[in-house]
Amino acid sequence: MSKTFLMGNEAFAHAALEAGVKVCAGYPGTPSSEVLETIAKAHAQGKAEGVHVEWSTNEKAALEMLAGAAYSGARTLFTCKQVGLNVASDALMSLNYVGVEGGTVLFVADDPGPISSQTEQDTRRFASFAKVPVFDPATPEQGCAMIKTAYDVSERYHTPVIVRPTTRVCHASTFIDIEDTTQAKPAKGFEKDSKWVIFPKRSFEAHGEINDRLPKIAADFSACEFNPIEVVSFGQDAEADSTASRDVPVQVSAQEPASDQVPTIGVVAGGISYAYVREALRIIEQLAREAHVALSAVKLMQVGTPYPFPAQRAEEFVQGLEAIMVFEELDHVLEDEFLKLAGQIHAPYTVHGKLTGETTARGENTTDDIAAQLIAFMQLPLSLEGRGMVAQTPIPARPPVLCAGCPHRGSFIAVKNALAAMGKKHEGVYCGDIGCYTLGNAKPLSTVDTCLCMGAGITIAQGITAVDPNRKAVAFVGDSTFFASGMTGVANAVYNGHDITLVVLDNATTAMTGSQPHPGTGVTLVGEHRKPLSIDAVLQALGVEKIIHANPLKAHDAIEAAREAIGFEGPSAVIYESPCTALIAPQAPVEFDEDACTHCTKCVSRLGCPALSWDRENRHPLIDTSLCTGCGLCAELCSDGALACPTQADSTDQSCPSSNAQEA
Amino acid sequence: MISVSIAGIGGQGNVLAAKILAQAAKTKGWQVRTAETIGMAQRGGDVISHVRMGNNHEEVYAPLPAKGSVDVVIALEPGEGARALPYLKENGLLVVPQSGIAPSTADLKADPYNPAAVIDALAAQGVAVSVVDDQALCDALGTRKALNIMMLAHAINVVNADPRFEHNELRNAISMDELREAIVACVKEKFVTMNLTAVDLVLQSAKVYKI
Ligand code: SF4
Ligand code: SF4
Repeated sequence: MSKTFLMGNEAFAHAALEAGVKVCAGYPGTPSSEVLETIAKAHAQGKAEGVHVEWSTNEKAALEMLAGAAYSGARTLFTCKQVGLNVASDALMSLNYVGVEGGTVLFVADDPGPISSQTEQDTRRFASFAKVPVFDPATPEQGCAMIKTAYDVSERYHTPVIVRPTTRVCHASTFIDIEDTTQAKPAKGFEKDSKWVIFPKRSFEAHGEINDRLPKIAADFSACEFNPIEVVSFGQDAEADSTASRDVPVQVSAQEPASDQVPTIGVVAGGISYAYVREALRIIEQLAREAHVALSAVKLMQVGTPYPFPAQRAEEFVQGLEAIMVFEELDHVLEDEFLKLAGQIHAPYTVHGKLTGETTARGENTTDDIAAQLIAFMQLPLSLEGRGMVAQTPIPARPPVLCAGCPHRGSFIAVKNALAAMGKKHEGVYCGDIGCYTLGNAKPLSTVDTCLCMGAGITIAQGITAVDPNRKAVAFVGDSTFFASGMTGVANAVYNGHDITLVVLDNATTAMTGSQPHPGTGVTLVGEHRKPLSIDAVLQALGVEKIIHANPLKAHDAIEAAREAIGFEGPSAVIYESPCTALIAPQAPVEFDEDACTHCTKCVSRLGCPALSWDRENRHPLIDTSLCTGCGLCAELCSDGALACPTQADSTDQSCPSSNAQEA
Repeated sequence: MISVSIAGIGGQGNVLAAKILAQAAKTKGWQVRTAETIGMAQRGGDVISHVRMGNNHEEVYAPLPAKGSVDVVIALEPGEGARALPYLKENGLLVVPQSGIAPSTADLKADPYNPAAVIDALAAQGVAVSVVDDQALCDALGTRKALNIMMLAHAINVVNADPRFEHNELRNAISMDELREAIVACVKEKFVTMNLTAVDLVLQSAKVYKI
């Protein structure tokens, strides 16, 4: 046992290992990726005995693989981000009916904000839709305790269980006690039984079993430590912070409050909002002390198990309350439950929250917002005005951009140039996808016209040409996304004869989420080497008849490749191959020859490379040598030979063939 | 409660600086929580780390601080100091390096970024800002890799020494030796000497700053 400084996700990995998890799988996605990486690291160090851990090709593959392991009695861990559960949902919905033998925990990270996601969907809703229990931690420590309990619940009731932290819990760090070594629980292996086969008749029975167990789980939840209730009273002239002195949440039933301290106001919080509420109450107490305002006690409840809702516990909580304010991110899940409860028990309390417009409807909660909302709710003569200064000076915006030297920049420029050279009537539609390359939508590249979900660029392009057959629709897909969810789309294009051009941006990694390997790299999460899956061979097998390979940083070849593929009638593909800058050492930076420069500005205005900026005074590009990777793309595109890459031979005498054609 | 925020740009090492502070807090026996930005924001975007330490043995609930509650903001870039300003307490300390990092833009008409003007504006609006001649320090060290540690050491040095910060929560909470110990515990062995030299350089040149 040692106290270690861990990020939430690292801590959760250790909690699962300590619970004896045996088979772990998932697909990378912020904010969930570090969990499996931590397990793989512990495995590599020989600290996690008997564990199998893998990045699967996508979430659905991961969960189905784990289902097999769970049928065989192993404790399993599935990880993904919230939208990843959409992909795995087909498996999850039925898995709950079939049931599991070994404890099965789905770690699904939600992303309020959203900070790096395409939706603000709420996995608590998914849990109730799938009729699967869900835990919602407020802190990394609590999340660890929940994961261990989740395995017990899963095995006791043969149900998959979801643990859904949010970004701020996943990426918060603190010191946590972890076991130095762990041992996976042995599994007895697969035993044949008709229950593993889902048939309508069996489903009907299973639905009854689910309906029977959910109230039992709700009762367990009502009695568990994750739904604490306490009375927060504020000492009138206490020097010390009274909310702070109560480390352990006090159960209201165990407490005999003085009669003037019987609260009529309740506050309910889920997830990290619970931590914010505690902080906000601290701020309110301090403000009240300074303003000599008396505060009456409030009753506070955290709901750490939103589904099945711990109604008995909540009923205890609402006793004597006149009004309740609910703080939660994403959907109004808890708010709905307290409204329902009021109806069920004919309670007189009112419920305040997202539905009444009194709390934040979308995006993240903050301590500040919650403090202001509580002050209004409690009708206190206090103000948060003047807390926090605002800089009286413009602050430079720093939107995320493709890295200096990113090969995707070359691919986008090549396709854009090829289309421009083919004339106005070929104005292309750029169907983008999920990954670093979504950043291609930013100026000056402007080469992402659509982005929906993993793999959708390929199929959206087909719909666009179905409506407008003369439109050139180009679909961009990363190598990892191709294997995760691109292949069925390609099959559809070939089968239904959609004339699209697929551009595979093969940078040999899953870059966006921190350089994870994938089937095309041949390397697994634990570092085993297999024969890499060939994108070319897959495309050929799927019936794509025109496939061209090019280096996206060699502008001439890259443009030619795009032109040939786009000009081909029928589904075609360009595979641009060049590694992500995170995988390779930078080369000597590009050199600038002032005498050769004609001040055309193209290098800066067309590339958007963060290593290049424009010197307005001297009218020439400036190279940030600390950022430049010497990728050579700007040298390729400078038709005047003013930029030269020392390590990219013959790059200076190769001008961009259609650099003048591209005036868009 | 001591709160420190470290604001910079992806790759400047604010996460390590936060970890070092957390380590120092742990040695003191305080509860500590930190928050970081990970994901999209890393691709050239601004990143901020927060460290919250229960120096009065109070419980730290949330990893993120409220507005106007941070004792010291350590900026690794002047504009990022301005961006993090809403977190700073009214009498808190802001430390910034002199050199800025221009945002990447393909817009040729954009006004050039002027970090000195940002620093002047912050000082003019009454922020207690301490400026570090980072170029001189990094030249002396021979690398910019330890800028994060230099700014951290500078912040602790100023808050401990400057009478204006007599009521700052961080004042005398962490000594230079405790900082050094935390550095040794947190950085890779081959970088320990470089980072400790960085701290020494900051202390040697401290007298030249207006603190
Ligand atoms: S991480 Fe790799 S793929 Fe992503 S923007 Fe940077 S170079 Fe491009
Ligand atoms: S060579 Fe040119 S395009 Fe490539 S990173 Fe350097 S400045 Fe950017």
